[in-house]
Amino acid sequence: MNETSKSVAEHWLAGQQAMWKPFFPWTAGQSGEPKPAANANPLEEQFNELRDTWQASVTKWTDFAKEAAQGELPSADKLREMFTPAAWAHGPGSGPGVVDAALQRVLEGPRYAVLWDLDRQLLELKKLTLQRDQAVAAYQAVVQKAWNAAFQRFAKALGSDPLASTKLTWRGLADKWLAVANDTLIDVHRSEKFIEAQRQMLRAASDRHLQERKIAEAWCEAGHIPTRTEIDELQRHVVELRREVRLLRRATPAGAIPAATVGARRVPARRPRTASKRART
Amino acid sequence: MPATRTSPAAKAVAELDDLNLKLARGQRMLRRLKDEDVQIATADKEVVFREDKTTLYRYKSTAKHTIGVPVLVAYGQIGRYTMTDLQEDRSMLRNLLALGVDVYAVDWGSPTRGDRWLTFEDYVDVYLADCIEHICRAHDLPAINLLGICEGGVFSLCYAALYPERVKNLILTITPVDFHQDQADGRLNHGFVNLWTRGLADEDIERLIEANGNLPGELMSYVFSQMTPGATMSKYNVGLLDTFDDEKKLLNFLRMEKWLADRPHHPGEAAKQLLVNLYKNNELVRGEFELGGRKVNLKDIKVPVLNVFAKDDHVIPPKTTQALRRAVGSRDYTEIGLDGGHVGVFVGGRSQGVLGKGIADWLRKRD
Repeated sequence: MNETSKSVAEHWLAGQQAMWKPFFPWTAGQSGEPKPAANANPLEEQFNELRDTWQASVTKWTDFAKEAAQGELPSADKLREMFTPAAWAHGPGSGPGVVDAALQRVLEGPRYAVLWDLDRQLLELKKLTLQRDQAVAAYQAVVQKAWNAAFQRFAKALGSDPLASTKLTWRGLADKWLAVANDTLIDVHRSEKFIEAQRQMLRAASDRHLQERKIAEAWCEAGHIPTRTEIDELQRHVVELRREVRLLRRATPAGAIPAATVGARRVPARRPRTASKRART
Repeated sequence: MPATRTSPAAKAVAELDDLNLKLARGQRMLRRLKDEDVQIATADKEVVFREDKTTLYRYKSTAKHTIGVPVLVAYGQIGRYTMTDLQEDRSMLRNLLALGVDVYAVDWGSPTRGDRWLTFEDYVDVYLADCIEHICRAHDLPAINLLGICEGGVFSLCYAALYPERVKNLILTITPVDFHQDQADGRLNHGFVNLWTRGLADEDIERLIEANGNLPGELMSYVFSQMTPGATMSKYNVGLLDTFDDEKKLLNFLRMEKWLADRPHHPGEAAKQLLVNLYKNNELVRGEFELGGRKVNLKDIKVPVLNVFAKDDHVIPPKTTQALRRAVGSRDYTEIGLDGGHVGVFVGGRSQGVLGKGIADWLRKRD
């Protein structure tokens, strides 16, 4: 306990005693002063009880003040800091912790409830990666089967005329192989199995790509960086606005438009377009 | 030479010798070649109009104009217009210029994610329309000749149906019209894109575009490569080896590669219209395709129409484009079927004299 805080405590105690003394001049510790008579009337009894209660209260508060005076009392600077709202946002320790955390969350942006949500997103990405890899493997299996068929056909073609095959040059052999492989692969490429395997592969790749983007965009949002989706939307607005400007220009007589807007170009009236319409999918 | 030897061992040695010589020759050629040797789309031209990523070029004449009305060439979004001028001796544009045609071409640029929301309306009503307005004003003409290629042909059809007063003659090359006629000829190697697209659910397409913003050019390249698996797998071995005999062949090969590698992304919303409304729902030929709330009615096309198709087009099978005859309202409808495939019609050696001349002759009669 330093000297400053000791003097503050003593000063506070003296102040308290000075305040209560005029009300209870007979309080304990002031021996020699007259005490109430033993056979008092009921009103006196009640008053005595009230006195005792007050006395106990003063004792308790005095003890409390003494106890407090044993520890570190906050300095004037510390008290100022504690009650300065600006200091509340400086993190745990400098202000009431719960308020700090909530305030910090508001100030710093969204959290992943957050961490768990990110885990879930990453898990989904893993799942989609697995699905894509499976789709690629299924596609490759179809292609591999086609190659096997091509080899079989080629071997069969060579085997059917061993004499002719011995006359082939390496180039002749290569051309024969390419022709067989070409025909076989074209057959396979047109099969329902191949088309479906390729579709699944493409879809799985798109889904995975979009999930990856979702995670990237969550980080972007937390870091105050514009997301791909936001930029796409922005570009969409720009394209649509430009369309509207063009329509307005065309609908306006050329003379009514300031030269700076039109420049040297003059666009004759066109058949009017209704509002732009994107693909009906 | 391998053919003159009879013993298998001698044949093998001779073949190995040939192969090594070819490889050495190829290596020497590749070392000598520089980037500027494989430039494409080098015909002399100037920029006459720009709007967003769209650029309108006018080509410098190489002969006296024999056709009064200029031709605007419009390619699609699945590839770049540079294919029409691959190299000096394989160039539809140069052939037209040499025949006295005043040629313009529109380049849609290379769409990025920012172009995701562009639709067919933007390409037809805005970019193509503004290019045509520019040419009409520059030549003081009420209408011009419009030449559409592939998806650019679809843009051209839509434009001609919606703004018939601005089109004097309509020329279409390798343009799909009835997207469900891909197997009408029963050729298995034809129309894989049609089949692939129909195999996708609308939601698959929606998610694909949502995930990528656009229809990735790489994906379309991959789908195209599945149409000709033999050519795809032999391209960089047997195919490349074959070009080592002749530097011209090698340069042609490399320029083609350059064009193929430059496949742009297709703007997302327009891609949905292409894949869902056209490829899947076949709305164009049914008169149900809508642009900005207006139905595209091909019967409104009453100007002369020339439809050029490739007899072995595996991307746009002949029947899918020949359906135009019944769909348009024009009484002056002509078809030219050329030998070759989808791109071969433009860059193949055989079709060089035929395609340009066929178009120029047809136009001259209607100028």
